[in-house]
Amino acid sequence: MQRKVVFPHRLLPYLLLAPQMAVTLVFFFWPGGQALYMSLLLQDAFGHTVIFVGLENFRALFADPAYLAAIWRTLYFSLAVTVLAMVPALLFAVMADRVIRGSTVYTTAMLIPYAIAPAVAGVLWLFMFNPAVGVIAWWMRALGIDWNPVLDGSDAMWLVILASAWKQIAYNFLFFLAGLQSIPRSLLEAAAIDGAGPMRRFWTVVFPLLSPTTFFLLVVNLVYAFFDTFGVIAAVTQGGPAGATQTLVYKVYQDGIQNLDLGSSAAQSVILMAIVIVLTMLQFRFVERRVHYH
Amino acid sequence: MNLKRWLTAAAVATSAALTAAPAAAQPTELHFWMGLTGANGEMLMRFGEEFNRAQTDFRVVVSFKGQYPEQRAAAVAAYRAGNPPHILQMFDAGSGDMMAAREAIIPVSEVFRRAGLQFNPADFIAPARGYYSLPNGDLLSMPFNVSTAVLFFNRDAFRRAGLDPDRPPRTWPELVTAARQIRATNAAPCGYTTTWLAWVQLEQFASRHNIAFGTRNNGREGLDARLTVADNPLIVRQVQTLVDMQRDNSFQYGGRSNDAAALFISGQCAMMTQSSGGLAAITQGARFEFGTAQLPYWPDVQGAPFATTIGGASLWVFNAPNRTERENRGIAAFLNFMRSDRVMTEWARTTGFLPATNSSFRAMQQEGFFQRNPGRDVPILSLIEARQGENTNGYRFGRWTEIRDVYHEEVERALQGRQSAADAMRNFERRGNALLRAFERSVAPRQ
Repeated sequence: MQRKVVFPHRLLPYLLLAPQMAVTLVFFFWPGGQALYMSLLLQDAFGHTVIFVGLENFRALFADPAYLAAIWRTLYFSLAVTVLAMVPALLFAVMADRVIRGSTVYTTAMLIPYAIAPAVAGVLWLFMFNPAVGVIAWWMRALGIDWNPVLDGSDAMWLVILASAWKQIAYNFLFFLAGLQSIPRSLLEAAAIDGAGPMRRFWTVVFPLLSPTTFFLLVVNLVYAFFDTFGVIAAVTQGGPAGATQTLVYKVYQDGIQNLDLGSSAAQSVILMAIVIVLTMLQFRFVERRVHYH
Repeated sequence: MNLKRWLTAAAVATSAALTAAPAAAQPTELHFWMGLTGANGEMLMRFGEEFNRAQTDFRVVVSFKGQYPEQRAAAVAAYRAGNPPHILQMFDAGSGDMMAAREAIIPVSEVFRRAGLQFNPADFIAPARGYYSLPNGDLLSMPFNVSTAVLFFNRDAFRRAGLDPDRPPRTWPELVTAARQIRATNAAPCGYTTTWLAWVQLEQFASRHNIAFGTRNNGREGLDARLTVADNPLIVRQVQTLVDMQRDNSFQYGGRSNDAAALFISGQCAMMTQSSGGLAAITQGARFEFGTAQLPYWPDVQGAPFATTIGGASLWVFNAPNRTERENRGIAAFLNFMRSDRVMTEWARTTGFLPATNSSFRAMQQEGFFQRNPGRDVPILSLIEARQGENTNGYRFGRWTEIRDVYHEEVERALQGRQSAADAMRNFERRGNALLRAFERSVAPRQ
């Protein structure tokens, strides 16, 4: 039975929602609407000349091989970050779940990276892996590995993938741990009595019951990889070398803020928004079917 | 009752006193946005405070809104909102965009004229004057932190390699030989690196050899200018040289902007082409003896070496509908203060930037600064004493930050071995010209 909340005054719910609606309108819908409008214009930086060009900005983007490459690169980057952020998190959560003594210590330690801002995480990894002054870069050279994210594109890509995923592991760990702890022990015990080993128990009992959490984290991680990784890329590689780490969100910043090409940048943000909406819709349509809610 | 009346009387008396207080006018606030960090930024703030202390009519508020690109975006947004800063420190590459937005700015000569203060563009050193001037001789912006490209070299590494520490390479072939020798004797893990890739290897390089890299006087005479680098064998040769040197680590790529400085300061690379403004960081961080030399050149180019060109930034004055004549006078007074010999010499002495006015340079010469500090006169000499030519006055292209990045990308691809130097310059020319045409289209209706 669902309990409905009853308000004494008819207008009260609307008044209580009003501040949040105001914030959403001013900080989301208004800039969003402006971006949509600006994507149809060609203008100089100062706004002196404004020409309506319709869908030309969009056509130019899709005809630009650099932009299409950025789309594939972003998909690759987001997939890598999501997988690298979720799999270790699940592993750590399963291990932390089994710990009885000192579990708070491990949990707290695992959570610390989440509290760090993306740019700070980026700088941390930048310093460790910098070919000139980095500690880990020094070890890698000693081991004979040729590590140079300043010139080698895939080295740079791996650096930003690792830095972004590292930050997100903490967030996923927290949710996985909570999800694991809500699984009734009786189910696992019953499976054990029936002769299922730990791996079998995990895949047939634990993982399906974790699927709501996994699905939620999948959506959140993909959105994180598309947008919030901007700080890491800006701090570590600035989209280089030769555009190897230029993801869609970073390209929006480069074209809008650095190059002051407002029309193209607005068009790119509209396309980026569309991509993420479609991805999320696809996930809800096809992946959610396989989620067991209980 | 008595208490109440007493309190009321006290309240009335106090408010009367406060409103009748100093009838002196509030100082007019002027906003100066600057883009320098660290010690240089702090010094600019100190200059602002000094100006405020010296008079009571105006109060300059010096703020840091982010480094040059972010600051520029913030200033543009502020301008669109109708409230731009009074003065903005804009880097050299942004000049083309600023110049095309003529209504957004007030030329500095005009600012002084309206304020009734004397201003002679000839006070500034010729390269700076040439870079920022209009055809009629007026200055669009006031040069302030002027720099040029120089070669820093590690004297200790030179000694270890068996090279003469007092004879740095003067030409590119000499530099290549020196770098190879440093690698062969392993005096350092890397021979040479560069900061500010496009600024040094394209812009400064072209000036040093008096070659143009664009039509229409490097863009100064019209928006329909085109880049002309693909057919320029010298520019292609320079990129090819870097690619070749990389094979034995005679050259190591350190990033597009200032990051490669860490390679030199840490002792990894024995030579570095850098902005003269990078001197402060080297003095602070280098644990070896270093020297300064002029930017190398190719000796087979007729007449070389020519003068290098300027970098750094200048001070632009924004136009706004609500600007008053009083504010204009304040801006002129502050700019006058900033170009005084006192400020310019202190600035040049402490930072690696150069004295932007002829009088401040002479003052530094007379006080013996350059005798006491050998090597400090290298940048300014390469600007004003070296031969001037038609193509040593810089360039004026819109969207130049973006076009520089295209150069960076294409050269990086060549360094990665994915394309030849010639292809890199062909691609750079093609993509750069597309951007120039887009820029022309976005500002043309008003020209």
